[in-house]
Amino acid sequence: MQTAAETGGAALAGALDGAPADSSAMAFSEAEFQRIYDANAGPILGYLTASTALRDIADDLLQETFCRLLVQGKSGMDADALRRYLFRIATNLLRDRWRSGEGRAFDEPAEAGAITDLDASIDVRAMLEHLNPRERQLLWLAYVEGMDHAEIAAATGLGRLSVRTLLFRARSRAKQFLSARGELR
Amino acid sequence: MNRSDETLREALRGYSAKITESHPVPPSSVIWLRAERRKRRLAVERAERPLRIMQALGLVCAVIAAGWLLFQAGSLHPLPAFRTAVLVSAFASLLLVVAGCWTMVLASRRSL
Repeated sequence: MQTAAETGGAALAGALDGAPADSSAMAFSEAEFQRIYDANAGPILGYLTASTALRDIADDLLQETFCRLLVQGKSGMDADALRRYLFRIATNLLRDRWRSGEGRAFDEPAEAGAITDLDASIDVRAMLEHLNPRERQLLWLAYVEGMDHAEIAAATGLGRLSVRTLLFRARSRAKQFLSARGELR
Repeated sequence: MNRSDETLREALRGYSAKITESHPVPPSSVIWLRAERRKRRLAVERAERPLRIMQALGLVCAVIAAGWLLFQAGSLHPLPAFRTAVLVSAFASLLLVVAGCWTMVLASRRSL
């Protein structure tokens, strides 16, 4: 049996669905969003793919990241702040996913992921798999995105000193792993 | 930055380039539409909230009133004999409430 609230809500949803889209309710205009997306979607997708090694999940989390930006984001941020904000959303989504135990990163075989390093001297995928999720994130933000400790702290929600310590540890573990395989001298 | 750091950086950046090359980002319009749908859903949830609160309050009041009436009727006073006019009015009210609910259900089905 449908309740009055459900009935009223469904009727209201129907009325709203028929209405023209109100883009003014979004945090950004469509053109502004397009510009932000073009500038940041690639790096965010790279970060998510490297952290999970699951393409579908990375795609889904990318969409959710930008969706949250549109629904909850504040306009008026400069490009750098916006970039950090997006990485923060993506990091939180990754953390929520790991906490809820929905699948595990690197569950997908490398063939299915289709990103292997057969032509490179270093097997980055194997190295990332060896690291824990936080180490993967920190290394990626530092080496690929070129963020300094303060920026990484803002993008991950960690303290600046913690970033320094954890990044040092991540770097050491990565080097140890690669050295043991003879891929790094 | 030492040599091994530089090698690690190059390897990670190369991996990043491969991801970008082999895994294109979805079009932004998909995300825009998804965000619009979510905005609408949130607006509906906000609009429904007072209705749900009133519904819950109504239910609580009905339960309390029914309990009180049963207590009164059972312990102290016998139930009054219903007159024809009262019964007709009660039946008409019930009919109107059912018709109103049915109309709302039909209206919501049409709009979905």
